[in-house]
Amino acid sequence: MTTSRRDFLKSAGVAAGALSIASLPSWIDSVTAAEEAAANGIDKNALADIALKTARKLGVTYADIRINRYRNESIATREQQVQNVSRGQNFGFGVRVLYKGTWGFASSRSVTPDDVRRITQQAVEIARANSIYQRKRISLVPVEKVVTSWKSAFEKDPFEVSIDDKIQFLLSLNEAAMKTKGVSFVNSFMGFVNEQKFYASTDGSRIEQYIIRANPSFTVTAVNRANGDFQSRSALGGPQGMGYEYIEKHDWKHEAEQAGEEAAMKLSAKAVDPGKYDLVLHPSHLWLTIHESVGHPTELDRSLWMEANYAGTSFLTPDKIGKLQFASKIMNFVADRTQPAGLATVGYDDEGVRAQRWHLIKDGTFVDWQTTRDLAAMTGKKTSYGCNHGDSWGSISFPRMPNVSLQPGPGNTSMDDLIAGVEKGILIYGDGSYSIDQQRYNFQFGGQVFWEIKNGKRGEMLRDVAYQSRTTDFWNSCDGLGGQSTYELGGSFNDGKGEPGQSNAVSHGCPVARFRQVNVLNTARK
Amino acid sequence: MLLTEKEGRAICEKLLSYVKADDAVVGVSSENYGHLRFASNAFTTSGARENVSVGITVWIDKKRGAASTNEMDDESLKATVALAEQLARISPVDREYMPTLSKQTYKPVNGYAEATSNISVTSRAKIINDVITACEKANVIGAGFHQARGSAGASATKNGNFIYEQSSLVSLATTARTPDGTSSGYFLRNHFDVAKLDTARIANEAIRKALDARNPRVLDPGVYPVILEPQAVADLLGFLAFSFDARSAEEGRSPFSAPGGKTKVGEKIFDERINIYSDPWHPELPGSQSAQVGLPAEKIVLVRNGVLENLFYSRFWAKQKGKEPTPGPVNSIIESSQPPVSVDDMIKSMDRGLLLGRFWYIRGVDPRSALQTGLTRDGIWYIENGKIQYPVKNFRFNQSLTQLLAPGNVDMIGKPERVGSSEGQGGSASLLPALKVKEFNFTSQSEAV
Repeated sequence: MTTSRRDFLKSAGVAAGALSIASLPSWIDSVTAAEEAAANGIDKNALADIALKTARKLGVTYADIRINRYRNESIATREQQVQNVSRGQNFGFGVRVLYKGTWGFASSRSVTPDDVRRITQQAVEIARANSIYQRKRISLVPVEKVVTSWKSAFEKDPFEVSIDDKIQFLLSLNEAAMKTKGVSFVNSFMGFVNEQKFYASTDGSRIEQYIIRANPSFTVTAVNRANGDFQSRSALGGPQGMGYEYIEKHDWKHEAEQAGEEAAMKLSAKAVDPGKYDLVLHPSHLWLTIHESVGHPTELDRSLWMEANYAGTSFLTPDKIGKLQFASKIMNFVADRTQPAGLATVGYDDEGVRAQRWHLIKDGTFVDWQTTRDLAAMTGKKTSYGCNHGDSWGSISFPRMPNVSLQPGPGNTSMDDLIAGVEKGILIYGDGSYSIDQQRYNFQFGGQVFWEIKNGKRGEMLRDVAYQSRTTDFWNSCDGLGGQSTYELGGSFNDGKGEPGQSNAVSHGCPVARFRQVNVLNTARK
Repeated sequence: MLLTEKEGRAICEKLLSYVKADDAVVGVSSENYGHLRFASNAFTTSGARENVSVGITVWIDKKRGAASTNEMDDESLKATVALAEQLARISPVDREYMPTLSKQTYKPVNGYAEATSNISVTSRAKIINDVITACEKANVIGAGFHQARGSAGASATKNGNFIYEQSSLVSLATTARTPDGTSSGYFLRNHFDVAKLDTARIANEAIRKALDARNPRVLDPGVYPVILEPQAVADLLGFLAFSFDARSAEEGRSPFSAPGGKTKVGEKIFDERINIYSDPWHPELPGSQSAQVGLPAEKIVLVRNGVLENLFYSRFWAKQKGKEPTPGPVNSIIESSQPPVSVDDMIKSMDRGLLLGRFWYIRGVDPRSALQTGLTRDGIWYIENGKIQYPVKNFRFNQSLTQLLAPGNVDMIGKPERVGSSEGQGGSASLLPALKVKEFNFTSQSEAV
């Protein structure tokens, strides 16, 4: 029998309501430059003046300073116990300079006028040392001067919600998941991030942004101890650029219960026969295929070999723009940093460019890139699409992925409608194992739950499914898109790229979609 | 500036003086980090970061709370301790709470070089210029990443333990591509001492591989004998020593689980020449002197002569199971019980098979058999009759790691070399040998270069 967290508190003689974190110390919830100055005596505008003046005096053609505070909270539980409750915050600044067409960057946690001066000088020293050997001078497309502030659209600040409510919520998920016989373990997690960003540049811009993101997740594991088999089922709902309302509005408890049932079912599910199948892919699965095979290859830095040493290049070479039939003609992929609830949604990027929406793939044809100010200049473009991002005050900002989403079909096509058109196929929910090559040609994706489709109807559960394909073959094999009612937003809290590695949060929306004759493997067989 | 032991101790003592909780562990870490990236034979981004941060974990009536900050003034430190205590008060009992360690004795490890921590930006620019110049001379397009880090940190418990450690790491990775984009080579190495990082070798090996991999032919996917260079072994097996966790094995969810809630300890799981161990004092691969939650690190053998000898126990799980907690692993070493075989001799001994130097985008597919998928990258060559015949195009693989090292599949084992995972950007290292194995499962072709 499980003991609820609230019961426990009662029995321990502790009044739960009195223990919520009502008043946090001022240093962790200041929001604007003015409030920061009042709380800590740190005048960001004055510090920006020092950095930009120092940089100009040292001969830079461009400089920016980002003074950022990051707050995070995480709660992790397993079964009936809490594993971790933690809060962290860090604060600091970074100065980026362009000197003789060469980038330099330096950063510190010590946010004082003297340190801002010293670190700016260090950024210029680094740029100067490298500029001696520079072969290709970097330049930037211009941007309009902006003085503004922006706040992401959230209803309930998760940092204002009591920890006790959050713990109670996670333990109730665990209880729901553990109801099914055969379920042995459940891990659940809730993480929140708050970014308070200040940007100033030699273009004259001063931009403040306040961003909230939420990342709930769980994984249920069923074990058959007799034969040593185990199967897991993770949450289908991913992170979103929302506040605590995301936790309250999504039916997580129902999903946890369903996850428990499905994890147990997977133990005795039918093993898939390898071969060609039609696939009907739910948005909780398809978002990751979009991320890897549409989001990454349309990054212009990859196409220009800037990422050759790590993430790789792209099969989308500059000559293919406007010509390559990337996907079937019913498909439109849109990059959008204004998308509601998007993890990469911002007011402005980290070099002062306003958030925008534009087509990457239009009617199946590859038409455009993701760009930053330096990448735009390298390719003769006049403006940037605003994809510059640094994951910390201590990280140099560079090209990162915006939200990239597949647009729904024009009608009211449902998932059942798409399934009705399949004789032999598989319906896949949830993201699983994923891997793609360094030019984004060849990929393999697993999932969380697989259902056989037979003669237009959903059949029994399958297991050990993964599909392998080639990016353009796969997207060109799509012949059915669900309507707006099937559209959902998936995403990643931690998309890695760059050297040193940086993490980016990004969303991908899509409707349910159908693909013909895709190669399916049985991952349990050699 | 990195913290000295005196400074680290003073901060820990200050934090502990603020703690009212029953138990606590506090830590402070400092870093100097510098990086330089190049691509298309030109300098791209380059920067530096200095940071100091503290972490505090406390227990009140066995209830746990944790908080961290990088604002080091007394008011912020006091507020962070208070926040951890506030979180502890409203948390449920930590059922896995173990009292923090009392005073421990540590045997020092030498893994820090001042010159690495304080690398000169002008000499680094010169090194990268030399790499780019070598690429230009060979008519290849170079890209790469140089990073140098110095770290110093201290940790203390309310029960009287204290430890201070310094470490450093420098790495250089280089990719060389032919201008037509049809061939690519890669080489990565790291060291804690910048004086021992052979940057010219790294550039030359990447260039050589790019030139040797030109005009690749198409080979059908399938099962092939392969020779894996140490980099490929690091990409695939670099994490292996850290996967021998007793709890997941005993809970039935690990490749080392056996039916009936048992584990495979005592079973011959790998080829009988294979030894896997962790050694904090290895001169080429110094590890941390402290293992899990501050236990003094020791040399730990996980696999001896192919037999699974140890799974590692956390303090909590050891108590549950009536075992001693395992002070490790802190690094990963794989070596043969037999004399090592060079890669050249492996090639000479091969009738038909493949030689490859790097894997990419490796992800778990089935945890029961440690089945991984991923791709070959930056050079793969066909061997016949003891000689390299020609380069071939890349493959996707689906390969169980337990089957890879299983008795009967391992043919030859090389001399361990210090090498870091390429997906991990060389930020850590293991000592790993080249391997010649009889069967490796390639499941499809990849056009990627």
